[in-house]
Amino acid sequence: MVNLTIDGKQITVPKNATIYEAARDNGIHIPVLCYAKKLLPYGACRICLVEVEQMKGRLIPSCTTPVTEGMVVTTTSEEIVKVRKTVLEFLLVNHVIDCPVCDKGGECDLQDLTYEYEVVTNRFEGEKFDLPTDEVNPLIERNMNRCVLCGKCVRVCDEVVGYGSYSFINRGFETKIATAFDRGLHCEFCGQCVSMCPVGALLPRPFKFKARPWQLNEVDTVCGYCGNGCTVTLGILDKKVETIRFNDKIGVNDGNLCIRGRFGYSYVNSDDRLTKPLVRKGNQLVETEWDEALQVVADGLKKAQDGKGAGILSGARLTNEEMFLLKNLAKTLGTGNLDHSGGECYKGVTEGLLETLGVQASTGTFPQIENTDVVLAIRNDFYDTHPVVGMVINQAVRRNNAQLLVVSGKGGKLSKLPRAKTLLSGPGLELDVLNGLCQVLLEEGLAKTDGLEGLVALKQSLAEFTADKVATKTGVDADALREAARQLAGAGNAAIMLAYGLPYTPLSKELAVAAANLSLLTGIAGREGSGIYLCGEKANSQGAIDLGLLPAADGLGAQAMLDAAAGGKLDALYVVGEDPVASFPDRDKVEKALEQVPFLVVQDLFLSSTAAKANVVLPAASFAEKDGTFTNAERRIQRVRAGVPSPGEAKTDGEIIAALDAQLGGSLAFTGPEAIFAEIGKDVPAYAVNYTEIGPQGVVWGGEILQPVARKLGEAVAAPMVEGAYRLVTGSALHHSGTTSTHAKGPLAVVPEPFVEMSRADAATLGVKEGDLVKVAGNGVELKLKAKVDLRMPQGVLFAPYHFKESGVNRMFKTESVISVTISK
Amino acid sequence: MTDYTQVLFKNRRPGETASLETYEKTGGYEGLRIALQKTPGEICAQVKYSGLRGRGGAGFPTGVKWSFFPADQPGEKYLVCNGDEMEPGTYKDRQLLLADPHQLIEGMVIAAYALQAPVGYIFLRYAYEDCSQVIERAIAEAEAAGYLGKDILGSGFSCELHLHRSAGRYILGEETALINGLEGRRPNPRSKPPFPAQRGLFGRPTNVNNIETLANVPHIMRNGNAWYQQLSAPESSPGTKLFGLSGHFNRTECFELPLGVTLREVVQEYGGGLRNGKRFKACLPGGASSPYMTAEHLDVAMDFNALEEIGSRLGTAGVTAFDEDTCMVAVTRNINRFFARESCGWCTPCRDGLQTISWLLDKIENGQGTEDDLTMLHDQVRNINGRSFCALAEGAMGPVEALLRLFEDEIKEHIRKGKCPFG
Ligand SMILES: Cc1cc2nc3c(=O)[nH]c(=O)nc-3n(C[C@H](O)[C@H](O)[C@H](O)COP(=O)(O)O)c2cc1C
Ligand code: SF4
Ligand code: SF4
Ligand code: SF4
Ligand code: SF4
Ligand code: FES
Repeated sequence: MVNLTIDGKQITVPKNATIYEAARDNGIHIPVLCYAKKLLPYGACRICLVEVEQMKGRLIPSCTTPVTEGMVVTTTSEEIVKVRKTVLEFLLVNHVIDCPVCDKGGECDLQDLTYEYEVVTNRFEGEKFDLPTDEVNPLIERNMNRCVLCGKCVRVCDEVVGYGSYSFINRGFETKIATAFDRGLHCEFCGQCVSMCPVGALLPRPFKFKARPWQLNEVDTVCGYCGNGCTVTLGILDKKVETIRFNDKIGVNDGNLCIRGRFGYSYVNSDDRLTKPLVRKGNQLVETEWDEALQVVADGLKKAQDGKGAGILSGARLTNEEMFLLKNLAKTLGTGNLDHSGGECYKGVTEGLLETLGVQASTGTFPQIENTDVVLAIRNDFYDTHPVVGMVINQAVRRNNAQLLVVSGKGGKLSKLPRAKTLLSGPGLELDVLNGLCQVLLEEGLAKTDGLEGLVALKQSLAEFTADKVATKTGVDADALREAARQLAGAGNAAIMLAYGLPYTPLSKELAVAAANLSLLTGIAGREGSGIYLCGEKANSQGAIDLGLLPAADGLGAQAMLDAAAGGKLDALYVVGEDPVASFPDRDKVEKALEQVPFLVVQDLFLSSTAAKANVVLPAASFAEKDGTFTNAERRIQRVRAGVPSPGEAKTDGEIIAALDAQLGGSLAFTGPEAIFAEIGKDVPAYAVNYTEIGPQGVVWGGEILQPVARKLGEAVAAPMVEGAYRLVTGSALHHSGTTSTHAKGPLAVVPEPFVEMSRADAATLGVKEGDLVKVAGNGVELKLKAKVDLRMPQGVLFAPYHFKESGVNRMFKTESVISVTISK
Repeated sequence: MTDYTQVLFKNRRPGETASLETYEKTGGYEGLRIALQKTPGEICAQVKYSGLRGRGGAGFPTGVKWSFFPADQPGEKYLVCNGDEMEPGTYKDRQLLLADPHQLIEGMVIAAYALQAPVGYIFLRYAYEDCSQVIERAIAEAEAAGYLGKDILGSGFSCELHLHRSAGRYILGEETALINGLEGRRPNPRSKPPFPAQRGLFGRPTNVNNIETLANVPHIMRNGNAWYQQLSAPESSPGTKLFGLSGHFNRTECFELPLGVTLREVVQEYGGGLRNGKRFKACLPGGASSPYMTAEHLDVAMDFNALEEIGSRLGTAGVTAFDEDTCMVAVTRNINRFFARESCGWCTPCRDGLQTISWLLDKIENGQGTEDDLTMLHDQVRNINGRSFCALAEGAMGPVEALLRLFEDEIKEHIRKGKCPFG
């Protein structure tokens, strides 16, 4: 700690604080413009200059100058005020001052400072800039005439996002911020630059002229998309979510978001939302009242249960409370056929991890990743599924010089980060590479084997995975593999990252076992500061696992229910918040199941492709319309808060499920999320937390480090080798999450339709240009997809994301992770 | 002209670059042999006690700078030679390289050893094509002769040198901007702390020195501190200095003179007086960023401290003279345009402030200036000086501040007459 005096006040602050931070934390106001707490010290705008007695003769930038013992600081004097005024005059020389039509008006730092320092006239006259605004990109309005050159956009996109869209160009007075070749912005559209811009130079285009900032009612909640669990602040006007605002004060994401969280909210306001229950009468789904709809559902489910049985299939975007109610409903109904959508693919967690580590969750927390020495990411897709954790990895690499290792069948963002080493395997062969890493650890005596069970069996099963053999099969360089294993073993702290989700179903358990083996052999699992991270695709994937939204011992899981339904062995299916027709592997089977099942109830926001087949459709509420909790992929239980009412008569899943339960004679009354959360605590000890104590940072169940309760190595198995000139894989695309984002304008504005991605070399061979329609055929299915050409794809490997129902990708992928295909124009 | 001892220029011949052979014959690489017998710490100490001061413009004691360098820290460390030389009126580093380039190579190897930073980069001004060829040849010769590369002279010490040609902007001479430039980034200066010695090139400890500074080191090693200190009179500024003359002098050449010669000697003996027998009005003593000296300063000693005492700076010792017919407002306006254009655009006072100075000087020079503009000019110098991120803006204020201090009457005459009195 360091003692110093600011404006006569004695204060004590941590020794790495800057003068500005010391002042701020002690209630002393120093104006800043280019300072941002999550960026490296910068010191360019010079508005924060102060006097330091020990550094007489010049003014000192308080935002970059570290405190020293005994420092005496003055933050305002006539001289300082004059300098600040001058800085403002300088900034205003060429500023357009179009506050009346600027969306930033009311929360603009330049406006506020000009007001605070009463800069009424400007002694300097200059030409106002007349630069064109960026009208090319769909989401971010760039008006460089308003820019004050604080560099925050440049820095956040580089330091945090790791994308690097912007740079200063030109010199002197002509300096401006530009994109590559000064063209329209074309990037991840995460919007970090928008949230950092202190003025109206970067604004969210969808929000243009929607509201003045002070008119907005703000509600902090958790993003409804992926398992990262980012805090989002809903900006609400007239009961409508008009924008998503960043919030760097609470939650885990430091105010960072991805395109889905930032721009993917519009589905909440969509005119396509269901507003009334629908019941099938003849061939038609017709609107009806809740009473009737619930009666029909209750009767139908009861009848089915008395017959061949009913099943419940849930999505993983429900709150913990809603999942608990659903579990309860299954009990009331007397069925053990219960699963969440990931039931079949989250095996990686539910089985693989349970069998090896005895736990079913990430062992560390996200902030710890930033301070690791080595990060191993399995599949480049990790960034696409969990972009904001990806940004933490970027910061580990950029700020703290962590070594990033990527095991992947294709290139991607992570592989492009500084010094990243990619073990590029053939498609779908990541599993073999992980096994190869384990083998090197054992062979070179680098493994920490004390207290591990199953070592002998593992060693035997690893005989096929020597570095040379793995190299031959996967194409990864044997020496690079050895070196990676050594780096992982030598790391003080390390993180292993694996994302899971519907498109990653095949081999997910085997991958999780291999990753768990690696975490055991390196001692990463359970070590302070290290961790193995298994990150669910959806906002509450972890909650579904924690609450055990799973089949009873004698019950059917998701795929088994579909199999049973398709075989005429199930009489009813209640699908809550999932669109299996669009998202589950083997669409033919899913469609058959839904057509065969005599009674289908679908609860959703939209008339999805699954809902279209239903007997009853129940209109549900979105994340922005409900209260409760989500548990993110690092076990953090966070509060979800309603900001707006549901459209029409739509109700929260919780309300609907509870009403059904009551209809079926259940005992658990719906008394609100708080009461239900307390009930969960009785069932699931880790959740025995007081609801009201879930603060701004949430509550991490199990603590910062979750100790494995078992240390049992699993046997290594090989991924099947798929041969062929063109091999297709599926997965998630950065701009989308599940199928929900395909209803949201923001993500759609950037990625509007399904595509197949290929290497430049393949595009050249095939004579295909970006945007051409190509035919991809395999597994008895032919798809027509737009071509996307990207350097990241290895030759002969094709990638088609799964989000779009119209793509039919899930018709082609039934149980395989890689398919040999033909492709033609 | 007095016959001063030539150290850096002793092998200078018109139109010729000294070969390795010539260099060796005159004691070349003996300094290196001597240095390799010593410990790195001993070399640093010797350079410190020699009193050598940086020749890049700031005159910071070289040995003191070296003593801050974490030579013992494991891992990569870098030595960077600043050969950007974009300061207007400065061309001495070029003359040095074209005359006798091995001095730099030898100096860098010694510095690399002293700092335990075995990888060196020579960052060279974009336009210096001739120098780049000279350096490349010198590096190749030194490598072939065992003065550079692996296990130098059997000492076990290895050192590699790389030449990097600048993309060509004035700000690249600022050492942290230079480091950004070397990394392939936009050359904005970096925030200090961390200083380059802690986190410089590629995030590793880095020491930056000027070409002339490094070229002095072998001579100090070979001849010792006593010899070095007797080269010049002022105790605070030992050694010789390359003075590059330009402007209205009769002789616009580069001379090696002891620090502490008077301005009069420079002007009359070496510059040969001014063109057309005109009277000396003023000069920039050390590049465009040094405050003017006038005829009243002719007897001032040209050394670091003496110039500071009269409110100027020795800078690079690139002396640009102006004769009695020169309009100092016009000169200052011209210089300020350069700085305003070359501002990296990072910080507000420099990016926007220098532009406002340009506007004011334009206005005054064009005869539209008012007393208010003069007041504002005074004010602006205060608003910019000591407020900027790096020293560029402060340097830019040197001539403007001196104009106001030394030539206020001339400014007022512009305002009074409503036109430039020099026509
Ligand atoms: C705007 C600016 C330009 C500079 N240009 C040069 C240059 O061209 N050459 C140089 O050696 N030093 C230049 N410097 C000084 C360097 O930052 C640095 O102080 C110097 O290279 C240190 O070397 P020395 O200690 O050997 O003089 C410049 C400084 C500033 C602020
Ligand atoms: S939206 Fe994100 S990726 Fe795009 S420029 Fe802004 S910060 Fe960079
Ligand atoms: S666009 Fe905004 S964030 Fe970027 S430099 Fe300009 S004012 Fe700063
Ligand atoms: S989708 Fe995931 S990463 Fe993106 S904002 Fe939402 S929670 Fe964060
Ligand atoms: S003073 Fe500021 S704008 Fe000028 S060159 Fe230095 S950092 Fe750039
Ligand atoms: S906030 Fe300190 S210089 Fe900008």
